[in-house]
Amino acid sequence: MYVDSAVRPGGSDHVLELISGERPLDWERVYHDNIASIYRLMYYKVGNREDAEDLTSQIFLDALPRLRPSASKGEIHMYLVATSRTVLAEHWRRRLGVQVTSIDENLLSTQEDAPSSDQRPRIRRILSQLPANYRRVLELRFLERCSVAETAATMGISAANARVVQHRALRRAAEVGQELS
Amino acid sequence: MNRKSRRVNRWVDDLLHDRRPRRLRGGEQDVDALRAAIEMRSSGPDSGLPDPRFVESLRRRLARETQGVVPHATRMTRRGLLASGGLAAATAAAGLLVGERLVGGSATQQHLIPEGGKWVAVADLTDVPVGTAMLFSTGAVRGFVANHGDTVRAFSAVCTHLGCLLRMNADARRLDCPCDRTAFAFDGSVLFKAMSASLPSLPELTSRIHAGKIEVLTV
Repeated sequence: MYVDSAVRPGGSDHVLELISGERPLDWERVYHDNIASIYRLMYYKVGNREDAEDLTSQIFLDALPRLRPSASKGEIHMYLVATSRTVLAEHWRRRLGVQVTSIDENLLSTQEDAPSSDQRPRIRRILSQLPANYRRVLELRFLERCSVAETAATMGISAANARVVQHRALRRAAEVGQELS
Repeated sequence: MNRKSRRVNRWVDDLLHDRRPRRLRGGEQDVDALRAAIEMRSSGPDSGLPDPRFVESLRRRLARETQGVVPHATRMTRRGLLASGGLAAATAAAGLLVGERLVGGSATQQHLIPEGGKWVAVADLTDVPVGTAMLFSTGAVRGFVANHGDTVRAFSAVCTHLGCLLRMNADARRLDCPCDRTAFAFDGSVLFKAMSASLPSLPELTSRIHAGKIEVLTV
């Protein structure tokens, strides 16, 4: 089957007109300026590299064709963050049916790099309010990157027990985190 | 340890290994635990820095899919073009320049970049479902577009052996040469050939998706 654009009424000419009417978007610059902050934002929201890379790709693929070449740096960043918000919501809807994390609407009205604040002091505060064994298991697993076996050995408990403590510690950490914010 | 607890722990294991966590149905308390795990994980050392390989591969993908620009394509001189023989002469006649010279003559794929080209819509994206391909003709170029799922690519539909126009063989998912027993896959590679000497893959055309249409850069 041949499709000859010359016989398609309107189609291609219309598209070409739109393109030649505007200075083309300097997408390489847009990409360069925003890739690190958008990736970081997604990483903070999903906590693993594979998902963060997938979502970041989707955001740029969705947003870049829709950007006006005349948009300012701030407008472009805000549009990318708005796209991130939608893409993240869809990710959780598909994956778990529950919105585990979301992007604060306030981020959309500011032009600052997101997330602007270092999370570490907050994590330290949460950890400091946990019972000692809960704090220890989370420090070993999340900050020192120990395996379950290593964590269990360090704490002098069984691996099965270490997993139970880890689950309870995460639940308690979530409660403390909510009390803090 | 109950089943739910095991599932949450497995989810956390995936997270700590930087893997995509599996699907999970949990109660509200578990969602809170997952959120806490994400927060802990992403505040760890070296977190949140994109892998340079990912940054570069996404840049290339964006160049291909949204803009149709080929990064780092080197243009060949007119003399080099004429020196490279039959295929180059055919493409020159079609107003195209060969973007990358053939090295060793076989497996390398060329990229055709017209000088002073314009974007021409050759098919509606919806007309080329994933896994299929469609022939087109713009007057200057005879080619086909193939939907590979994550990307749509366009290739010349001129056999690299004798310059015959290829025919679509949708059932076998390939393009057949009417002149001899030569066939090409939807990614331009040679499936089988009549002659014993090596045969170049089909040159790729610069393409993009714009407003729901597949466009090819041509003269």
